[in-house]
Amino acid sequence: MIVEIGHFALILALAFTCLQVVLPAAGLFKGNFSLVQLSRPMLWAQFFWMLVAFAILMNAFVVDDFSVKYVASNSNTELPTIFKMSAVWGAHEGSLLLWALILSGWSVAVSLLSKRLPSEVLNHILIILGLISIGFLLFLLLTSNPFERLDIIPTQGRELNPLLQDFGLIIHPPMLYMGYVGLAVPFAFVLSSLIRGQLDSTWLRWSRPWTLVAWAFLTFGITLGSWWAYYELGWGGWWFWDPVENASFMPWLVATALVHSLSVSEKRGAFKHWTVLLAISGFSLSLLGTFLVRSGILTSVHSFAADPARGLFILVFLILVVGGSLALYAWRASLMRSHNSFSWWSKESGLLINNILLVAAMLSVFLGTLYPLLLDSLGLGKISVGAPYFDAVFVPIMIPAVIAMVIAPFLRWKKDTVSRSISLLKPVWLGVAILFVGSLWFAENQYVLFAVFLFIWIVLHSLVLLVNRIRQNGSLGLAFIGMILAHVGIAVFLLGATVTTQLGVEKDIKMEIDQPIHVKGYEFIFKGVDSFSHQNYRGHKGEVEVYFGGELIANLNPEKRQYVTGMPMTEAAIDPSLTRDIYIALGEQLEGNAWSLRIYYKPLIRWIWLGGLFISIGALLAAFDRRYRLRVKA
Amino acid sequence: MNIMIWASVMLAASLAWTIWFLKNPLLGNNVDLRQSNIDLGKQRKLELQQDLDQGLIDKEQFDLALEEISSTLAIELDQNNSKSLKSGNTNVAIWLVVVLLPVFSIGVYQQLSTDNSAAIVASASSSKPLSLEQSVIKIEQRLQNNPKDIEAWKMLGLGYFELKQIKKSLAAYEKAYQLDPKDPRLLVEYASTLISANNDQFVGRPVALIKEALELDPNAPDALYLAGMFAVSVQDFELAKGLWGKALNALPEQSSDRQALLSILAELNRVENGKVSNTVTVNVAISDKILASRSADDYLMIYVKAAKGRPMPIAIEKIKIKDFNGQVVLSDMNSVMPTKLLSEHGQVLVVARLSRTGNAMRQADDIQITSDMVTVSNNPSVILKLD
Repeated sequence: MIVEIGHFALILALAFTCLQVVLPAAGLFKGNFSLVQLSRPMLWAQFFWMLVAFAILMNAFVVDDFSVKYVASNSNTELPTIFKMSAVWGAHEGSLLLWALILSGWSVAVSLLSKRLPSEVLNHILIILGLISIGFLLFLLLTSNPFERLDIIPTQGRELNPLLQDFGLIIHPPMLYMGYVGLAVPFAFVLSSLIRGQLDSTWLRWSRPWTLVAWAFLTFGITLGSWWAYYELGWGGWWFWDPVENASFMPWLVATALVHSLSVSEKRGAFKHWTVLLAISGFSLSLLGTFLVRSGILTSVHSFAADPARGLFILVFLILVVGGSLALYAWRASLMRSHNSFSWWSKESGLLINNILLVAAMLSVFLGTLYPLLLDSLGLGKISVGAPYFDAVFVPIMIPAVIAMVIAPFLRWKKDTVSRSISLLKPVWLGVAILFVGSLWFAENQYVLFAVFLFIWIVLHSLVLLVNRIRQNGSLGLAFIGMILAHVGIAVFLLGATVTTQLGVEKDIKMEIDQPIHVKGYEFIFKGVDSFSHQNYRGHKGEVEVYFGGELIANLNPEKRQYVTGMPMTEAAIDPSLTRDIYIALGEQLEGNAWSLRIYYKPLIRWIWLGGLFISIGALLAAFDRRYRLRVKA
Repeated sequence: MNIMIWASVMLAASLAWTIWFLKNPLLGNNVDLRQSNIDLGKQRKLELQQDLDQGLIDKEQFDLALEEISSTLAIELDQNNSKSLKSGNTNVAIWLVVVLLPVFSIGVYQQLSTDNSAAIVASASSSKPLSLEQSVIKIEQRLQNNPKDIEAWKMLGLGYFELKQIKKSLAAYEKAYQLDPKDPRLLVEYASTLISANNDQFVGRPVALIKEALELDPNAPDALYLAGMFAVSVQDFELAKGLWGKALNALPEQSSDRQALLSILAELNRVENGKVSNTVTVNVAISDKILASRSADDYLMIYVKAAKGRPMPIAIEKIKIKDFNGQVVLSDMNSVMPTKLLSEHGQVLVVARLSRTGNAMRQADDIQITSDMVTVSNNPSVILKLD
């Protein structure tokens, strides 16, 4: 019966969300203070019932309540308790419930932490967030009800996808959803401003920290996903240009542009059109990502829910949200007039170029992701767009964006001169140029050389910026430190990604017991394979000793697993370090005691995720800058 | 308490919460939008001054930007269309909430709940679970409305089988088979029932059904088990061992089916070889010093490995310290591989390992001791001391 309480709690959450929208909206229309002020308590009640529903669903997993269809489809009694708990968001219905819960949580955070925001603005924002919640709760209850019961209760459930039985997948979806859903907050800020007809400084000031936090979570979520794919899928790759990866990358690119655009709008009152459109696009792309993953129109490891009916609901919701927002934008466009001018060589121009390039990069990913789907749906044939397209189109757009990222912080607002900038940065540029040209003679790989050059260039500029700031006023704000850290994060990521792609080694080899194999100066000795069993799978575990300079540095145990359901899985064994990873995946048994193994040498691969971590921390630091915490003083 | 009482409590709490805040609205934060924009404009001017002081802009740019801040503020103040709000009457809202909240919530719940939700709830909350006969009647009633419900036909087949009504059971399984001939589990259940109906004889249709099931899922443990039984019935013990060995690989360690299968395999080996299993009796003494430094939940792994050759265990017993009584007897039943029984080995070493994780691979803090060589055919007894 407890499951029915959860079901009823979810319906009550929908009822409170409707009250959160209808009563304050009626109050605004009638000028009734008592009704308008209901938005917060109704939201808190909604959040409470959402929590109850979520906790009850999790309990159903833990106690193996197979009368619940969703539990029976995604868990069984043999599953370890931690995976029973994370199985709640392991498939479609539960992950949508998590989506809605996180949206509710973000709304509560806005309602509690926006003490400097005028109540009338806050109430408008909560109404918009409530409207989005209604869409998702209706979607849940009408097409994806996680509390649906089975007519006949099975004694045993099915298996949670073994790919998801992993620590990375316990935390990756919640973090990514925090980012996706977090973009609803700047969207709600923008829409409330458009509805009120007041695109003012208050909106710009107080939406920026929320945008930064959402961006930090999105970055962290994507980074976690990349790390998980690397060690779990057994291919040794960190980014596959998979459509679902792209679905999270597109809002990230737009959110990156948005945090910069907001900075200009907030400080100089410019770029309001950009900021509004980016906020609308960011959340729309989040919804598009949800649509792509949840509709089942994609075929990849991610599309574990294939149901076109659900896709249709999200598509209609998406059209309503995007169409409605753009119509509102068109209606209020005249309010965004700005008389703030700036010259072609100024900080504003640098940030504008950066924004244009980021949006162009997003559009290139958008095209590569959706064009094959469009052709397929129109019956014009199937085409495959993969890494060659993205490498050829995306990378050339991002290189000038990185260069602009480095130079723009040195430019003055409004108007600067090229000669002043050059005189300021001449020593750095000269030093890096000499280093670059000198290295050309020795470099074996020009891509790596270019990446090293870019890394040194970005880090040196960041240091110069830091030193200049300390010299000028001696104090460093969190926003400034955050910016430096995020930019260095980009440098770290670039170097890691280029070096591991260019200098990484992959060997697919047959290994006999005790026969040494040499890869990049490392000696690998295969010691054999043992059978083993676990709670919900059995398998084979290999043993490979890794020597460097005659010294044993690691004993790696790659696994091949056979889950209860029969699904096979490869568990790579990794010897990690900051300078390189040794990565071994167990293949098939060959004749005798020989096995096929894949050995990867991955230089600097950890730098990819370290860079992502730097960017996330930088964004969080910037979000907690003093200006966003102090009461505005005249 | 049934769901309706719980729903009433939840609704009452929800109504009380809503009415309370309608009667006692939260106060606003006294931040005026107009004043907020003025304050932010002033702060931007201060920041601009700081930029000038730090040399980030020159005086000309400062004057221009200052003018822009002022004009932006003027536009913002001009746009300000804030409405003044007054405490209004909320009686209508209260009545609407009192009526609409329960109607909406209960209405949506009833609309979304499947018919059987109530039955599930009723049976869960009832102190008397349904008898097998009652369950079969309920399934039959359900099938009258949903004659294409495959799961229900399978349940009916199983129900009749348990009630010893084999003909009805077979009819139900045949119906399910016609609806979905590609369900390996159904094929195995159907085959199993046919074999029972045929005095445990593996002839005709059941053999074909098992074959179909294995074609659909070559690793289905139930199908492999039945196929093994068929192999035994035609005296092909090697085939039976191969099939059951494959089934063992597909079953989890703690599964009771696995233990049963291991026993059958050991029995098969004994029958085949005409001899009983050899045993190795292992007595392990753990010093108080070691016991004091370990948790009662640490594992003691006692295993036998070949004196020469691969180091992987031949037979193993893994037990928690708190459950260990000092002695373990290893036999063919403990063999890791059903095709390589303990009794088939000659000289072996006995190992006792204390491990925090119970991991098959030796960990850094594991404590291990190995015996001298012993001969399995002597049914040896070994004493190992961990100190």
